[in-house]
Amino acid sequence: MDRSRPIVEMTNIIKTFGSTRALRGVDFSVMPGEVHALLGRNGAGKSTLVSALSGFTPADSGKFRIADTEIDANGQSYAAVIRNDIAHVQQTPRLFDLLTVAENLFIENPIVRSGWGMVSHSRMIERAMALLDEWKIDIPATALAGQLGAGTRQLLEIMKALNRGVPVMILDEPTAALSNAEKRILFDHVRTLKAQGVSFVYISHHLDEVFEVADTVTILRDGQVVKARAPVASLDVEVIANLMMGQATLRSTREDHTDPKAPVLLQARALRISSDEGPVINLDVRRGEIVALAGPVGSGKEDLALILAGQKTPAAGAVTSPSGALPTIGVVPTDRHASGYVGILGVRENVAVGGLGMLSNRLGFINRRKEAEHVGQLARQTNVIASSLEQPVGQLSGGNQQKVVFARSLCQSPDVIVALSPTRGVDVGAKEQLYALLRGLAAKGMGVVVVSDEEDEISQLANRVVIVFEGAVVDELVGDYSMKDLILRMEGVA
Amino acid sequence: MMAGRQDFASGGGPSRWSAFGSAFVANGFTMYPVLLLLVIVGALVAPRFLSSTNLINILEQVSVLGLTTIGLTFVVLIGRLDLSLEGIVGFAPMLAAVLMAPATAGGYGIELPGWAGLIVALGAAGLIGIFNGFMVVRVGLNPFISTLGLLVLLRGGILIISNGRSIYSPGRALTYLGSERLLGIPLSVVVFLVVAVLVGLIFQFHRYGRALYAVGGNEEAARAAGINVDRVIWSAFFFAGLLAGLAGILMTGRLDSAVTTQGEGIIFSAFAAAVIGGVSLGGGKGNIIGVVSGVLLIGVINNLLTLAQVPSFYVQASTGAVIIVAAVLTTLASRRSTGMKTRT
Repeated sequence: MDRSRPIVEMTNIIKTFGSTRALRGVDFSVMPGEVHALLGRNGAGKSTLVSALSGFTPADSGKFRIADTEIDANGQSYAAVIRNDIAHVQQTPRLFDLLTVAENLFIENPIVRSGWGMVSHSRMIERAMALLDEWKIDIPATALAGQLGAGTRQLLEIMKALNRGVPVMILDEPTAALSNAEKRILFDHVRTLKAQGVSFVYISHHLDEVFEVADTVTILRDGQVVKARAPVASLDVEVIANLMMGQATLRSTREDHTDPKAPVLLQARALRISSDEGPVINLDVRRGEIVALAGPVGSGKEDLALILAGQKTPAAGAVTSPSGALPTIGVVPTDRHASGYVGILGVRENVAVGGLGMLSNRLGFINRRKEAEHVGQLARQTNVIASSLEQPVGQLSGGNQQKVVFARSLCQSPDVIVALSPTRGVDVGAKEQLYALLRGLAAKGMGVVVVSDEEDEISQLANRVVIVFEGAVVDELVGDYSMKDLILRMEGVA
Repeated sequence: MMAGRQDFASGGGPSRWSAFGSAFVANGFTMYPVLLLLVIVGALVAPRFLSSTNLINILEQVSVLGLTTIGLTFVVLIGRLDLSLEGIVGFAPMLAAVLMAPATAGGYGIELPGWAGLIVALGAAGLIGIFNGFMVVRVGLNPFISTLGLLVLLRGGILIISNGRSIYSPGRALTYLGSERLLGIPLSVVVFLVVAVLVGLIFQFHRYGRALYAVGGNEEAARAAGINVDRVIWSAFFFAGLLAGLAGILMTGRLDSAVTTQGEGIIFSAFAAAVIGGVSLGGGKGNIIGVVSGVLLIGVINNLLTLAQVPSFYVQASTGAVIIVAAVLTTLASRRSTGMKTRT
């Protein structure tokens, strides 16, 4: 292979969705054995560009070449032509829940076929076991994919793609659902394959990851390249953030509204998350504070949050309120695509569904004026940007979808908001807006509970960090804690 | 906080025409131009078509289908289906008829009073709907198979309770709604229109309607938003059954008899009318304005083909062809206006 000739060369790629010009003539190239990070805010065109590259959503016009295959895009599907040149790992795993791990890993893979298209099950399971072993994943090859946790599913999706032996791989937000240990395994494999000459296009919102694995960086903004093929060493966080935003931005810091004398809103006593053993959890949520629940994947922090929110029953103990009646609680669910919004319905209907009771009269008929006012006010408060309140939420960018989910959770004017992974898959700008929103809510006297895997997020938001480990609260950081304290505790070290 | 980038004013889109087009499709008006075209064609082909007698006749004929389709829309909106509605259209009035008619007319000789017969018919229809909800929510059956089974069971049930014989003139209370006229307009048409308006208002302006759309669009999100999803599913099947029962009563009234084959094949027309009217079989999309257009379209086509003296063999085949064409039109219009693919 000629190492000086790019393996991917895209010129003047254009893609339009309805009236949105997602890509406005983008040039992009990848060298063999290069990890090329593609950066940009949500809606900048990163995912559209790589989808055009893999043929998942064909480009409207432009030319490109992958290895020796030339494509002249005209909006028609060309995914089949480049199938053997490129693999695309999407943001959300696309696994067959009712097939086994082995079947998922080797679907449409010629390695496990014998004559006339027959698939050898023994060979498939054997190879799957070897692969799982190599990735240090402790699950049987015959387990159903639907039974696995989010992190494992994401790894499987990546393994499936890496396994096909293609020269170019697209990883779109591969680490969103991974724990730090799982990330290490992934990065090791990326480096190994890179040494063998495989090229990667890498999309991530985590700049630290980009600095760790990427060689080259291209930055997109509003469907155009604003920085092409910059060596990663020549950039720093500030420069990248400025190029992405198009204006200088400062990362916000946490504000402290905690008051030890503030009234307690939620009171968890003698709680056990799922088992009947181990120490019990006692936890208070006070007015005006932002409490983060942190800990490794599978520690039970999400379950604890759902128990606090009243959406899950604890194995033992109870959540009460000193004032008697439980306060109104708004919930932002972990996975907005699965349980956050209804894609075909408009912003108005999505937000109003969180508070139908208070928007309708005694007979249950909705007061349209009150609804329009209330939803409009919530949409402004959460900074939703949409062409109108009737625009289907499925058409909005990830950040705006998440803001709609926040608006829904605030629809009943709750006293407590429980937000799980509040900024997953959301760009830097929208992230800061959501942080400002949460801080504002706390300042107004709401109790805020945040579950997060991101150290930056927690340290930017939380006045109090509760460390959850193996179903129990093991530690708590209050007030002026340092980033180092936080990271060590989240890894279960200190 | 960022400010000043919001644009919630209506009509601020790329062009007023495309905004108008989107709203036109989204509000269920897609098929009305087609309907208008058919009416013009009809007036040219058959002069009798535009006579008030004929137009009222069409409305009377579609009122049974209309009520069944509205009932079906409840379950389709939540992403389910109910084939047993066809069985209810036949079974509910038959049950009332055998309990009301004297033994000489093929009844059981119980000779229930008329109002009790009505309650029996609607009650049976509602109970069957509740049973469907139970099968789907509690037992967890796929509604296709559970309601298919029930459809066949009800068809057999009609023959069992009636001993295989149709019952003529079962009683005035049962036939009143389907046969009486008010100022020259059949009561069945009035019933259909009242139900359509009422259900239309509930779908658009009532929290129950919102819950239906939310459950059909994304069940998990509806659950997370605090909607009692099981109760919504259960009630949708109940209302569907109830409306099918009402449709059956109208049909019995129009024929002045409870016929053993009553309602046969109506579920196919109901699905066709719903899809033509822009209701997505995937759930979460569609409204009553559209449903009414679908029902009217099927009625007008049937009427036109008959008036044009198309041989009866061809009537059925052409209706099928028109259904396919109309469904394609609806799907394309909805895709163009929203840019999103939905399966109809």
